[in-house]
Amino acid sequence: MQKQQDFITLIKENEGVIFKVTLVYTFNEEDQKDLYQEIVCQLWKSFDSFRGDSKISTWMYRIALNTAITNLKKEKRKGNRVPLDKSLLNKIDEIDTIIDDRLKILYAHIKKLNTVEKGIVLLYLEGKSYDEIAVITGFSVTNIGTRLNRIKKKLKSQIKK
Amino acid sequence: MELDELRSEWQEMSNEIKKQKILTDKLIIDMTQERFNNRLKSISIPETIGTVVCFGVAILILLNFSKLNTWYLQLSGIFSILFYIVLPILSLKTIYGMKRINISQGNYRETLEQFAKNKMQFIQVQKWSYYLSFILVIVCLPVASKLMNGTDIFLESAVWLWYIPFGFVFLYFFSKWVFKKYKGASNSAERLLKDIEIS
Repeated sequence: MQKQQDFITLIKENEGVIFKVTLVYTFNEEDQKDLYQEIVCQLWKSFDSFRGDSKISTWMYRIALNTAITNLKKEKRKGNRVPLDKSLLNKIDEIDTIIDDRLKILYAHIKKLNTVEKGIVLLYLEGKSYDEIAVITGFSVTNIGTRLNRIKKKLKSQIKK
Repeated sequence: MELDELRSEWQEMSNEIKKQKILTDKLIIDMTQERFNNRLKSISIPETIGTVVCFGVAILILLNFSKLNTWYLQLSGIFSILFYIVLPILSLKTIYGMKRINISQGNYRETLEQFAKNKMQFIQVQKWSYYLSFILVIVCLPVASKLMNGTDIFLESAVWLWYIPFGFVFLYFFSKWVFKKYKGASNSAERLLKDIEIS
């Protein structure tokens, strides 16, 4: 019971993180909700494996991003999902309205990046340092720097168009 | 707009999102309980039924193998048995491979690599299943005919006069379709592996 309560507290504190990951890796609302639930499930499954060796946010991002990857191209897959009640749908819509247009455009451009780049730029925008991004992604710090430079150029040219 | 500027705007948005509480305790519990249902459903029902049927047919041919009294019928029988045993196992193995990626252990790079490699493997097995299924369509007819009616259609029927030419024409178009069907998926997995390697 205590474990469940700890988990609920953790998820409630970090639900925004899950929301942002789902926004970047999906292309429609249905998939977004599906991925949201999948991430929560995977976090619960992996909750025992979290031993506090790393920061809780590092662990959460790793699980969320890994889940997003393994759900790539599974858009058509239909599993048994918990029906999302109307109030939840309305809340998601409410969040959608607070994202201003410029960020919506940015999201659209991030979605056009390749899978590797999506993860890196998301962590960068989340305010993670190069070292933290390297820990979460498994790429070297130098590699992260190189990739981020490339992403900046790519986004710039995409936005110009 | 520079990415650094966007980063600060992103932070503002994050703060706003943080204030919006979507999840209730009940909803989180409901979502987590789904894992138990999923565990039961982790064995895909259609694939499992398919495998049981294939094994059943293989056993049936094996038990009646002595009825296949010519070398070509025996060869057809052996191919059918191997097909019905090996391919379902390979297929299930690759499906499990896709499902078994350990999300909690690996980092982003490792998970991506594993995902792309498993996907390539899955595509290869699916591709070969299609090609071999076609050969099976050809060889299972004489085997079935011999086992069910005792008729050797190689000798007692003119069906081969149209069956083989028709089969090869069909194989040509069928192969083209299979190649096209999996080309996109295969390319995207290859691209993913390349993106990981770029430094």
